[in-house]
Amino acid sequence: MRAFVTVGSTKFDDLVQHSLTEEVLLSLRNEGYTSLGVQCGNSNFEFASVVADGSEHALERAGVSVEVWKFKPSLEGEFDKADLVISHAGAGTILDVLRKGKRLIVVPNETLLDNHQSELAIALEEKGHLKSSTVTGLAQVIEDVHKVNLTPFPPFDGHKFAGILDETMGFL
Amino acid sequence: MEMFYLSLFLVSVTTIALRLYAILPRPTKRVSAITKEGDKATCSLSVFLGSGGHTSELLAMISGLDFHRYQPRIYYVSEGDTLSANKAIALEKSKASAGGSTQVHETSSPSSATAFVPERSSSTSESEDVLPYTIVVIPRARRVHQSLLTTPATALVSLFWCQYHVSLSSVFRPKTNPSKPTRDEATSVLILNGPGTCLTLCLAVYVNKFFALPSPVIIYIESFARVKSLSLSGKLIRPLVDRFIVQWPQLLQDVKMAEYHGWLV
Repeated sequence: MRAFVTVGSTKFDDLVQHSLTEEVLLSLRNEGYTSLGVQCGNSNFEFASVVADGSEHALERAGVSVEVWKFKPSLEGEFDKADLVISHAGAGTILDVLRKGKRLIVVPNETLLDNHQSELAIALEEKGHLKSSTVTGLAQVIEDVHKVNLTPFPPFDGHKFAGILDETMGFL
Repeated sequence: MEMFYLSLFLVSVTTIALRLYAILPRPTKRVSAITKEGDKATCSLSVFLGSGGHTSELLAMISGLDFHRYQPRIYYVSEGDTLSANKAIALEKSKASAGGSTQVHETSSPSSATAFVPERSSSTSESEDVLPYTIVVIPRARRVHQSLLTTPATALVSLFWCQYHVSLSSVFRPKTNPSKPTRDEATSVLILNGPGTCLTLCLAVYVNKFFALPSPVIIYIESFARVKSLSLSGKLIRPLVDRFIVQWPQLLQDVKMAEYHGWLV
């Protein structure tokens, strides 16, 4: 199985660095994961200088083969390949991953002043669609997320907005 | 003489205040534009693509619309936001290949950010299959690192520019099909979902409203990411729009006139 860590276009040093610790990698290994992709964005961490030129860095740690890189034009393929996605709380990533029916752990960046992103993570966790975690609690949540049945996220329904607009403009 | 100028000033202020009060949306006012013509009529659609998540959410919402009904379409993008422009073009292409039906499309595939963005990539609808749309680039109200001293000037340029396009699109909108009913002022709609720049378009519409010129219905949709508190643009724009839609019911408690219809993205 494969896990994927993404921070989008943000800089989230703690999440990227912590994902590469023995603690988190062992927790993934225990759940049956043998590979991990890490999209580190602009984060500063132990391999930041190695991937600075846009290259990919591969390593083997705690029985998990890890690839680290900064950006790709689209993460869709990465979401498809992954069985578990660990992400910063970006709304776009949350929607994309949940719509693909993938297990999702969201780690809000608590160093940001505007915490409306963690509000979204908490609200979706209350509805059972995902698990939210702190950076330090990640190993435990990786274990927890495999014990619960997450609620499937409803598919996109284009008729809802069309209905609102048709009603407003007198088409209905 | 001073008394004369004072009364002139007071009369002007009162007149402007009354006019502004008269054009603000009423909670009871139902917007209903094309009741008689039914589905034969078309409605012009303008949207502002505010980049990133704003663009994704807005394009997802309009992907479910009947594009034969909502035409012509205008996509406003900020100067330099080629990614949003490309996403709009991608949506138009996928809708055109699907025959402009109400089919739902994925809008998440970001295309290359280097592509050329035409000022007007409009195609007038000669045949039924060509879906008319235009991408209009808005000059920035304030550039990054621009001095605060010159900001009012560039912001005004941006506002006048928007005003010009809003008026142009609602007053001199070309008929796509002469056999269709003449579209009156209410048969155009402007959809906004932030961020701040969308206020410029809203203000431009208000300049039209102030002078009783044709102006579109304005709908604002707060982001899916806003659960407990409105965004700044949401807070500012709320009293000015005809419909204010939120995507989490928690927001209904504090926000007057807000509507909730579930998740729209």
